[in-house]
Amino acid sequence: MRLLQYVTAALLPFTALAAKKSSGDRFETYHSKQLSNGGPVKVDDKAYNDLTKTPRDYSVAVLLTALEARFGCNLCNEFQPDWELLAKQWTKGDKQGEGRLVFATLDFLDGKSTFQSLMLQTAPVLLLFPPTTGPNAKPDNVPHRFDFSSGTNTAEPIHAWLTRQLPSIPHPTFVRPINYVRIAVITTAVIGFITLVTVAAPYILPVIQNRNLWAAISLIAVLLFTSGHMFNHIRKVPYVGGDGKGQISYFAGGFQNQFGLETQIVAAMYGILSFATISLALKVPRMTEPRNQQIAVFVWCGVILGMYSFLLSVFRIKNGGYPFWLPPF
Amino acid sequence: MFFQGETGRNTRGLLRLIILCTIAAAAVASRLFSVIRFESIIHEFDPWFNFRATKYLVQHGFYPFWDWFDDRTWHPLGRVTGGTLYPGLMVTSGAIYHLLRFLTFPVDIRNICVLLAPAFSGLTAFATYLLTSEMSDSPSAGLLAACFMGITPGYISRSVAGSYDNEAIAIFLLVYTFYLWIKAVKVGSIMWGALTALFYGYMVSAWGGYVFITNLIPLHAFVLICMGRFSPRLYVSYTTWYALGTLASMQIPFVGFLPIRSSDHMAALGIFGLIQLVAFAEYIRGQLPSKQFQVLLRAMVLVVFAVAFGGLVLLTVSGTIAPWSGRFYSLWDTGYAKIHIPIIASVSEHQPTAWPAFFFDLNMLIWLFPAGVYMCFRTLKDEHVFIVIYAVLASYFAGVMVRLMLTLTPIVCVAAAMALSQILDTFLVADTPTSTTPSDTPHANGSTTSNGSTSTTTTASALKDKLTSALPSTLRSTKSPLVGIHSYLSKSLTAGALTAYLLLFVLHCTWVTSNAYSSPSVVLASRLPDGSQHIIDDYREAYQWLRQNTATNAKVMSWWDYGYQIGGMADRPTLVDNNTWNNTHIATVGKAMSSREEVSWPIMRQHEVDYVLVVFGGLLGYSGDDINKFLWMVRIAEGIWPDEVKERDYFTPRGEYRIDDEATPTMRNSLMYKMSYYNYASLFPAGQATDRVRGSRLPSQGPELTTVEEAFTSENWIIRIYKVKGEDNLGRGLGEAVGFGRGNKRKSSGRGKGKGRGARTLRVD
Repeated sequence: MRLLQYVTAALLPFTALAAKKSSGDRFETYHSKQLSNGGPVKVDDKAYNDLTKTPRDYSVAVLLTALEARFGCNLCNEFQPDWELLAKQWTKGDKQGEGRLVFATLDFLDGKSTFQSLMLQTAPVLLLFPPTTGPNAKPDNVPHRFDFSSGTNTAEPIHAWLTRQLPSIPHPTFVRPINYVRIAVITTAVIGFITLVTVAAPYILPVIQNRNLWAAISLIAVLLFTSGHMFNHIRKVPYVGGDGKGQISYFAGGFQNQFGLETQIVAAMYGILSFATISLALKVPRMTEPRNQQIAVFVWCGVILGMYSFLLSVFRIKNGGYPFWLPPF
Repeated sequence: MFFQGETGRNTRGLLRLIILCTIAAAAVASRLFSVIRFESIIHEFDPWFNFRATKYLVQHGFYPFWDWFDDRTWHPLGRVTGGTLYPGLMVTSGAIYHLLRFLTFPVDIRNICVLLAPAFSGLTAFATYLLTSEMSDSPSAGLLAACFMGITPGYISRSVAGSYDNEAIAIFLLVYTFYLWIKAVKVGSIMWGALTALFYGYMVSAWGGYVFITNLIPLHAFVLICMGRFSPRLYVSYTTWYALGTLASMQIPFVGFLPIRSSDHMAALGIFGLIQLVAFAEYIRGQLPSKQFQVLLRAMVLVVFAVAFGGLVLLTVSGTIAPWSGRFYSLWDTGYAKIHIPIIASVSEHQPTAWPAFFFDLNMLIWLFPAGVYMCFRTLKDEHVFIVIYAVLASYFAGVMVRLMLTLTPIVCVAAAMALSQILDTFLVADTPTSTTPSDTPHANGSTTSNGSTSTTTTASALKDKLTSALPSTLRSTKSPLVGIHSYLSKSLTAGALTAYLLLFVLHCTWVTSNAYSSPSVVLASRLPDGSQHIIDDYREAYQWLRQNTATNAKVMSWWDYGYQIGGMADRPTLVDNNTWNNTHIATVGKAMSSREEVSWPIMRQHEVDYVLVVFGGLLGYSGDDINKFLWMVRIAEGIWPDEVKERDYFTPRGEYRIDDEATPTMRNSLMYKMSYYNYASLFPAGQATDRVRGSRLPSQGPELTTVEEAFTSENWIIRIYKVKGEDNLGRGLGEAVGFGRGNKRKSSGRGKGKGRGARTLRVD
C-alpha cells in the first residue's frame, strides 16, 4: 500500500504537465491519425515524447528502427512491411479504439535524441508502453522490450507477444493477405513449364536420359555434401577468415569449424583424387600405346600421392594431434 | 593358374571363408580397446537405459516387459516403457542370454550387453560382403568392402564394446535388408521379397532409423519405373516387401499404426499404389497393342497418380495423416529444429557435420567413394541405381546430422571397394596384352544401349536418333575397348602405392578408434605428468553414493542427459531422462535450474524432488558440464515460459556468456550457477578461484544457498548433489530462516516470496 502512495505522489507533477491536453485526447488524436493513414503513426522526437508521456490511459507500441540504406539494417527493412501490415490490421479490427493501443514508428533519422536517451546501439527495437492509468494500468512506467535477437522478421511472433503482454484488451486476428500476384505468377509459370516440357520433350529427352549428365550431377552432389557444404548452409559460416595479422586464413582452426572457401578446396581435392582414381581404373587400361600408358600411370599415381599428402597435411591443421603424413607435404 | 577348375573353385571358396572370418575377428578385436583399457562397462547415456531394460526383460520375462510401465522415471508422470521403446536390441540379447544359459554357459547379462555390438559388427562385415558381391563381378570387391566395413571408424564410433545402443544391431540389419532387397529385385522371387520384409520387420523393432529403409526402397522402385525399367521382378519383390513388411512393422507397439498414418511412410504406400497401376497398364498394353489406347492409358496413369497425390495432401492437411515427425522434418528444413524444437537442436549429435568429421571417420574411403559411384554408371543395372540413390541421399543426411554418418558408412565402404577392386583387378593381372592390336573384349560396355528406351511414340524420332548418337549413352571414359596394362613398372608402382595407402588406412582406423571412440565417458582417463594413466571415476562414485545413502524412492532432479545413468547406476527415480518425450516436463526442470531459488524451490517441492544433481567441470577442466549446457536449459524453458525465462538475461549487455564478476544478476542468481560454484572459492586462496573450463576468475564472494544444502561432492567435484530443504519448522520462508540463523535482522517487507506475481500460465500459441 505504501508503495502505491509513493507512486501516486511521484505522479503528481506529471499530472500538472499533462493538464494541457488530457491523456484521452492524445489517444483520440493518434488513433484517428493511424486510422486515416492505415498503419502505424510516424513520429519524431517530439511526438514520441508526447505519445509516451505519463499519465496515459492507453498503451503504445513503438518500433524504433533505422530504415535508411546507409545504416545497413536488413532486419529493419525486412520487418517494416510486416509491422505496417500488423498495425493496419489491428487498427482495422479495433476501429473504436477499445483496446486503446497506438502503433508508432520512430525512424532513427527523426529520433536521434530518443535513441540516445534510451542508449540504443541496435535497431530495430520494439517497445511497448503499458497504460499508467485506467483499468489495465501497470504501476511502473517501464516499457516492455521485444527481443529481436532470435532473428524474427515476421509479424506473427509480434502479434503473439502483444497478445501476451496485453491480455485484457481485444486482439484482432492477424491474417496475411492472399498474394494474388504470386498465385498468378506461379500458375503461369507451372503452365508455361508444362508447355515447354511438352514442346521440347524430343530435344530434352535424350539429354535427360544421358548417363554422363546424371553421373556428373550425382558426383557433384556427393562431393558437395561430403565436403561439409550443409554445415556452411546451416551455420552460415564466413567465406574466408583473417589470421589476425592482416593475412587471409584459408583454413579455420579447430575440428568443429570451417570456412566456405575451405570446403571448396577440400571438395576440389576429393574431386581430383576421385578423378585420378577413375582415370587409373578406367582410362589407363584402354590406352593402346605402351609408352603413353606408362606416362599416364606415372602422372596419375603422382597426382594421387601429392593430393593425398596435401589432404593429410590440411587435416593436420584441423586436428593438431594427428600423427600420420605422406611425403612430400 | 593355380586356381582353375573344380579344385580351384573349392580352394577359392575356402580362402574366402578364412578371409571373412579373419575380417570378422579383426572387426571384433578393434572394438575391444575400452574393455582392455578400462573394464567391461556400459558406456555413455542411452546404453544405460537399454541395459536396465534388458535386465528387466531377463528378470521378468517377455510379456511383463511388453507391458512395462515404469514409475521410476519421469516422476510423477511415469513412462509406458514397453510401448515406447524399440525392443529389438533387448530381445536379441535376451535371446542370446537364454540360449547360452540353455547351453550351460554361466554368462552374465552385462557381458552379453557389452559385447553385443562387436559381435554384430562381424556380421555387418559379412553382410557388406554379400551386398557388394551383388554389385560387382570382381572377386575382390566384396572382401575389400567387408574389410573396410569392419574397421572404418564411422561405424566403430557406434559399436565399440560397451556401446550397447540400438545402432549396435541396426546397422547389420540395415545392410542385410538392403542385400536381400537387391537379391529380390535381381531374382524377382517372393521368397527373397519375404525375407526382405522379415529383416525389415526386425530392423523396425530395433531402431527408429528404419524410416531410412522405408523411404529408400520405394525411391529405388520409383526411379526404376521412371527409367522405364519396370519389370515383373520389381513388381513381385516390391509388393511382397511392402505388404509383409508393413504388417511386420505394425507388430511393434511403438510403431503401431504409424505405417498407414504418418507422412514418413506415405512414400512407400504411394509407390505401392503406383506400381499396381503401372503393372495394370503394362498388362493391358500387352493385350491391346493399339497406339491410341496406349496414350490414353498413359494419361490415365498420370491422372490417377495426380489425384492420389492430391488426396494424400488433402488428408495431411485435414489431419487424418499425421504430419512429418519433427526429427524427420528437421532433415529437410534445416532451420526447423532450431526454431520449433530446441530439444532436438540441443543434442550434439544432431548438429551438422563439418568436413574434418567425414575425413576422420572415413579417411581415404571418402575420395574413393565418388569414384565408386561413378563406376556404377558404367553398367547401370538395377542394383547400381540403388547404390547411386543411396549414395546421394546418405551423403546429404550425413551432412545435415552428425549421427547419420552411420548410415553413410556402409555405402561408402561398398562404393570405395568397387573403385579399388577395379584398379586392383586391372593392375594385378600378371600377363601383359599380346600386342598393340586392341583385344575386343568390351566387358565393361555391356548391356547399356538397350536399357529402357521403350520406343516412344513421339514424332521427332529421327531427330532423337541424331541427338542420341551425339550424346553417347555410355560413359565417356569407357567408350574405347579395354586393352590392359603393358609394363610391369606401372603395375608394381600402382600396386605398391595402393598397398601403402591401405596400410595407412589401417593405421588411421586404429588410431582413431583407440583415441576417439574408446572412452566410456562414464569413466574418464587422463595422463599424469609421468605418463601413467589416471582414472577419474567421479560419476560412478556419485551414483554409488546415491544408491547407498538415499531412500530407495528419493527423487533426483538433474538435467535430462543424466537421467538414464541415474536410473541405471543409482537406481533412483528421476524427473526427466534421455527419452525426451515430454518437452514441458523438461522445460520445467530447465526453469527450476535457471530461475532464482525463490522460484525454483516451489517447483522442486511440487515435484517432490529430494536431491538435485549437477555436473561441474570447473575444477578439472571437464568441458561437458552443466554450465556449458546451461543455455539449452534456458532456451528450452523459454520455449514454454517466454515471460519468465529469457535467454537475453543470461548474456552481458555486450552479448557475452560470462560467469565471473561481470556475469548478469540473473545468471548469478540462477540455481544452476549457485549450485555449481557453491563453496568453490574455499578450495583456493582468497580471490584466486578460477574456473578451468571457462578460464575465468570467479567473483570473490561465492554464491549462497538457502533452499538446498550440499549433500555430496565427488572427488574431483564433477558431480555435486544437493538436498532440497523441507518447509521451515516455524513457517518462515527459507531465506528468512537462513538469515535468522546467521543473525541478520528480519526485514519488514515480504519481498521475494514468489507471491503476487499472478497465476503462471502456459503460453498458448
